[in-house]
Amino acid sequence: MTAAVEFDSVSRHFGPVRAVDGVNLSVAEGTFFAMLGPSGSGKTTCLRLISGFEKPTHGVIRIFGQDVSNTPPNRRNVNTVFQDYALFPHLNVRENVGYGLMVKGVGRATRNAKAEEMLALVKLDGFGERKPAQLSGGQRQRVALARALVNEPRVLLLDEPLGALDLKLREAMQDELKALQKRLGITFVFVTHDQSEALSMADRLAVFNHGKIAQIGTPSEIYARPRTRFVADFVGSSNVLPPELAQRLGGAQNWSSLRPEALRLTAADTTALTGTVTGLRYLGAGTRVTVAVSGAELGVLVPTGTPLPDQGAAVGIAFDTSDLHPMEEA
Amino acid sequence: MKSALLPERGAGDRMTAIFWRRPRVLLALLITPPLLWLGVVYIGSLAALLLQSFYSIDEFSGLVVHEFTLKTYIELLRPANFDIIRRTLLMSASVTLASAVLAFPIAYYAARYATGRWKAVFYLGVMLPLWSSYLVKVYAWKLILAKEGIITWVADGLGLGFLLDAALALPGVGGNSLSTSFLGTFIVFVYVWLPYMILPMQAALERVPKSMLEASADLGASSAQTFRTVILPLAMPGVVAGSIFTFSLTMGDYIIPQIIGTSARFIGLAVYQLQGTAGNLPLAAAFAVVPIIIMLIYLSLAKRAGAFDAL
Amino acid sequence: MRSENRAPKSLTLAAIGGLLFLHLPIMLIFLYAFTTEERTYQFPPPGLTLKWFAVAWNRADIWPPLYLSLMVAAISTMMALILGTLCAAAMARARFFGRNQLSLLIILPIALPGVITGMSLRSAFSLMDIPFSTLTIILGHATFCIVIVFNNAVARFRRLSGSITEASADLGANSFQTFRYILLPNLGSALLAGAMLAFALSFDEVIVTTFTAGQQSTLPIWMLQELVRPRQRPVTNVVAIVVFATTFIPILIAYYLTRGGSETAGGGK
Repeated sequence: MTAAVEFDSVSRHFGPVRAVDGVNLSVAEGTFFAMLGPSGSGKTTCLRLISGFEKPTHGVIRIFGQDVSNTPPNRRNVNTVFQDYALFPHLNVRENVGYGLMVKGVGRATRNAKAEEMLALVKLDGFGERKPAQLSGGQRQRVALARALVNEPRVLLLDEPLGALDLKLREAMQDELKALQKRLGITFVFVTHDQSEALSMADRLAVFNHGKIAQIGTPSEIYARPRTRFVADFVGSSNVLPPELAQRLGGAQNWSSLRPEALRLTAADTTALTGTVTGLRYLGAGTRVTVAVSGAELGVLVPTGTPLPDQGAAVGIAFDTSDLHPMEEA
Repeated sequence: MKSALLPERGAGDRMTAIFWRRPRVLLALLITPPLLWLGVVYIGSLAALLLQSFYSIDEFSGLVVHEFTLKTYIELLRPANFDIIRRTLLMSASVTLASAVLAFPIAYYAARYATGRWKAVFYLGVMLPLWSSYLVKVYAWKLILAKEGIITWVADGLGLGFLLDAALALPGVGGNSLSTSFLGTFIVFVYVWLPYMILPMQAALERVPKSMLEASADLGASSAQTFRTVILPLAMPGVVAGSIFTFSLTMGDYIIPQIIGTSARFIGLAVYQLQGTAGNLPLAAAFAVVPIIIMLIYLSLAKRAGAFDAL
Repeated sequence: MRSENRAPKSLTLAAIGGLLFLHLPIMLIFLYAFTTEERTYQFPPPGLTLKWFAVAWNRADIWPPLYLSLMVAAISTMMALILGTLCAAAMARARFFGRNQLSLLIILPIALPGVITGMSLRSAFSLMDIPFSTLTIILGHATFCIVIVFNNAVARFRRLSGSITEASADLGANSFQTFRYILLPNLGSALLAGAMLAFALSFDEVIVTTFTAGQQSTLPIWMLQELVRPRQRPVTNVVAIVVFATTFIPILIAYYLTRGGSETAGGGK
């Protein structure tokens, strides 16, 4: 099957800055694909390369197998939901949604009907006459979504679309977006710096760092088996063990990751690994206990309801050696 | 299902593709007409001015000699001409100073106390005189300052006629009436350029965060101390920015001294008369170069004082 | 606690006094247009009459300068509108080599005293043997009007979310459609405001014009001649009111067009 989006060693340099540096990437049709990374890691530039607002310095981008090196944004059947929504302030909601059809020469009656249909899809029926300025942040986001989807794009690009919403609305929108993507079957490429958002929504995700892809895979793969220290650190807050410690605990002599929820606190004299409690952080569903052991600090996630040690107490730490995951590079 | 690429529709799409592939093409299309205009018409003219100032005039025929010489510039240093330059600079400096003093309460009030409707009143109240007809404003003062005009009438009515007479009797600045004295010229200059001082000053003052004033008070400064040590220094870039306008505009003006004042000449008036009735274009050009040089020095000093952030 | 938001009385008085100082003189012109006194600027006017409006209306020497001024202002505004908008569009698009130099070049005609712009043009015309004409007047006016339009347009470009032009392209619009359906509607009021101010500036301009007009008179030049050598003073007053109104009204319109934005018109005269 042809990939919806394919990057063939693509780079984008801005002067001396390598915003995107030799990225290879393939997004299968119909997937919800997330690009995750800290700001400046190149994920947004990758999105802009797909939409055509940036041109690659090197490499080739294909959309459904077609090289788009010579195709300007207006001729790519790809639409974007912008971070600031970029709604047209002088047009009302219906005109905003119908804009893409209007510039392609679709008649007024058809485009109004389609616009209303799309507004219904994003649960904004009856908002057609309003101006963007009269909408709440969440409503604007839906209009931006409807405006993109009305064009029946082959790929929908979303640039941190939930970043401006408050937490509750954001979680509701995450579920809705995911459901929408399943229903429409369109390929979604979603840029975010929020790892929990990426983990919960994506079918596959790419973790970006310094313009390169640090790891690509399904959320559970990436969470359970981070390939590098950066990924382990950025996705979830894993314990990163230096090679000597990992070896001492029965693993390979490699930098290794160990998820906090894989650790259990025990009495100090029952295990080989003991340390002192240096911090307790209550997280609601559990408490993250920081334990200083020789050579490192480990975070242990203790479920709520389990008794907690005191600050400064000596504790033991138990875990399955199989949870100790060796990583490729330091 | 639709294709991943949309078809090209017409010339508009083809041009768009060219602009997209070569962004410089669009930039060049946009920039060329204004660049040609400003480059040819304006810079060309400035070059012509400079060129003209290096020519001289033949004393017998009165014709311009198209040969490079510094003679015309040397002529600028003759006492009569040098006096004009000195007088102009003195006037520009005093107008600037007076504008700054008068502008401050307006700018400060507008920036710090005026809210809502009053903010608009102050804004329009400064903007309208700034933009309204220059000539009408000058003319209004001709009416006001005339011997038989409103100032004399008010002064006599209040029994203060002697003060006016005393002011007019001052050597150097006085005269027959206000409309034929240096004092009159000065007043009109201040009036006409005052809004140019208020606006940048207000902009600078508006940038002083309220919390900073509160911090100053919180740290135990009296209002006067806050004013002197916090507000004034922060307003300074605005004053400098405003002074660029008042100084430059006063230096180049030739209408006001022609209508209100003595027969003593200023640079602008000298330029005007030399190119007109006297027909001495080279000397007129040389005179016009003087404000350019002074402004260039002034601007580089102002830039160092951070005045451009207040514009 | 003492309220921090109440201005000291002396400051309020000084501020209001300052505003009055700026406005009262202009009002006086209106009074003088009705005076019965013809030869002096006597205050208070000995009597009031409406006859000067009729006299001014019938004076043949006023109409040609008025037409010329209107024509020059209209054409200069059109040219400034095109050139200023192009400049603003280029500046908003990209950082490019010479960008700062260009912005200096645009501001220069209005930053340097008018007498320099005037004298420069005069020198150029003289060196190239270009005779004075309506065209030479327009050449000068359009040059200093560009910056007015430019300032208004560039401020609006800045306020517009940069991504709306990208959004338009993303939705399938080509450059021309984006200009027609997105840029123009959003820039419209700023451009109109700029045009209003440019018109007001040009209609009223006298300093540069005296150097580029030759024998022709614009209305401000006519007025200047009357000021230097007065003939019928109240007629000049009537003309002054006309000039004032012709500049005042566009300025008010410009203000209302751009109100509420960070770019309220006129900051950069």
